[in-house]
Amino acid sequence: MYGFEAMTFNIHGGYLEAIVRGHRAGLLTAADYNNLCQCETLDDIKMHLSATDYGPYLQNEPSPLHTTTVVEKCTLKLVDEYKHMLCQATEPLSTFLEYITYGHMIDNVVLIVTGTLHERDVQELLEKCHPLGMFDSIATLAVAQNMRELYRLVLVDTPLAPYFSECITSEDLDDMNIEIMRNTLYKAYLEDFYKFCQKLGGATAEIMSDLLAFEADRRAVNITINSIGTELTRDDRRKLYSNFGLLYPYGHEELAVCEDIDQVRGAMEKYPPYQSIFSKLSYGESQMLDKAFYEEEVKRLCLAFEQQFHYGVFFAYMRLREQEIRNLMWISECVAQNQKSRVHDSVVFIF
Amino acid sequence: MEVVDHKTHNLENGQAAEEEEEEEVDENANVLQFMDSMDAYLTLIHSLSSNLRQGWLELASARHSMGAYRVNTVLLDHTSHSAATSLLVDEGKEPHFTLCKWGSSGNEKLFLGEEQSSRDKSHPQIRHRGATQLSEEKTTSENKASCEIDDPVQKERSKSLSVFGTLVSPKLRDAQLSFETALETLVEIANRRSEMICAFDKVNKKSGGSKD
Repeated sequence: MYGFEAMTFNIHGGYLEAIVRGHRAGLLTAADYNNLCQCETLDDIKMHLSATDYGPYLQNEPSPLHTTTVVEKCTLKLVDEYKHMLCQATEPLSTFLEYITYGHMIDNVVLIVTGTLHERDVQELLEKCHPLGMFDSIATLAVAQNMRELYRLVLVDTPLAPYFSECITSEDLDDMNIEIMRNTLYKAYLEDFYKFCQKLGGATAEIMSDLLAFEADRRAVNITINSIGTELTRDDRRKLYSNFGLLYPYGHEELAVCEDIDQVRGAMEKYPPYQSIFSKLSYGESQMLDKAFYEEEVKRLCLAFEQQFHYGVFFAYMRLREQEIRNLMWISECVAQNQKSRVHDSVVFIF
Repeated sequence: MEVVDHKTHNLENGQAAEEEEEEEVDENANVLQFMDSMDAYLTLIHSLSSNLRQGWLELASARHSMGAYRVNTVLLDHTSHSAATSLLVDEGKEPHFTLCKWGSSGNEKLFLGEEQSSRDKSHPQIRHRGATQLSEEKTTSENKASCEIDDPVQKERSKSLSVFGTLVSPKLRDAQLSFETALETLVEIANRRSEMICAFDKVNKKSGGSKD
């Protein structure tokens, strides 16, 4: 019952909430990012990260380092922390934690299917999958020729099975079908996660509704911008938007007919939370939109830690770590390419 | 008699002086051509470096935006397919390179290169392509309206990028354009180098001849 979580939450969730708040204290600060932005080489970055929580994961990596190695090792740390929390969690927290990884599962399914379409080696594809999205029968994806087979042979036994009902066809898999499948699956996943959080109720429902609604709205904007100038029709575009969020349903109607970034801006500026995001951009520009959205997301995720006795902190922590890994990836790329003047284009400070 | 000899001698001297002057003008022209080619070559090298830096950063930006799992070498297409872009080499007295872009689907390829009146007339007249807009001049061999070529070119560009998915970030499209521009610059560099070598040979011949 909302308001009485303080009485019962700690029985099953207290230990893990303390663990995740401890992990949150290990997130990189602005001072850490300032040091990293001044590095000349990737070995300098490794040296600075050795004093952080990432130290044990990078210390044994031989020089010369590669940017993908930095990202892989940092992701490994996140995976280890997640697995520790998952194995300690009881219901419904364990289901909640599993929901957080379904997005990566969808990405892995699409990676394997696309790579197989391009005649790539399955082992090679499996090595590139996100570790949080792995499941037992993932390698069998390579034998499927269409979505019906994909579902019947592999996905029927995975958590993604319920999301397939909207996109099962017998058409052979090609680039456009795969893209529509990816976005349809993700839409169904977000809606399911939203309903699950609503069922949990209390502070979890309140905080997660806000975070997931923002995610749905951001997806809608990205789908709109990425589909401008492509063969995706307005109806197909509209079908990929989630059925919840601040933009649902009138904002979606406007976004579905947008043909350029300025029309997208016109549709979004009617909503006060997004007006502040678009006010940071000049007309016709979309380069800094990603950073503006990430900054807004980080602000909302940090606010989740201001309240206790809810599951939103777990979601917020995972997303903040993923943002941190994105920051490290960007800094590493700028250092490797000797473009340090551009490093602040995409780094989002968390604290 | 002496007057006639003197006049003949003066005439011969005048003709020799004229010939010398012409040779000097030719030599100066060759040296100037060599210097111009070298200047253009160095400018193009600088431009190529700048385009490549921009392209790599835009690619990193696209990976940051879309995720490293969507922009990955493991998604590149290993099925057999014809090249989207090819290079024609004319191994004449002065080798010339012509870039043929976006012809993988059987559409007529677009020929690109420099537009100079000194170019051999047997080469198709070629236009200089900007980032997304066609230039005004039409090729004599192609002879299509600019707007008719836009759609197939855009389709071929999207087809190339579709290995990463059909809904890709504008940053990935920008990276594609930067690398496309870099490729065009590379071909121009090859042509300028060829010009430079020929001009240098001419200068060498003249100076070798004058030493003799």
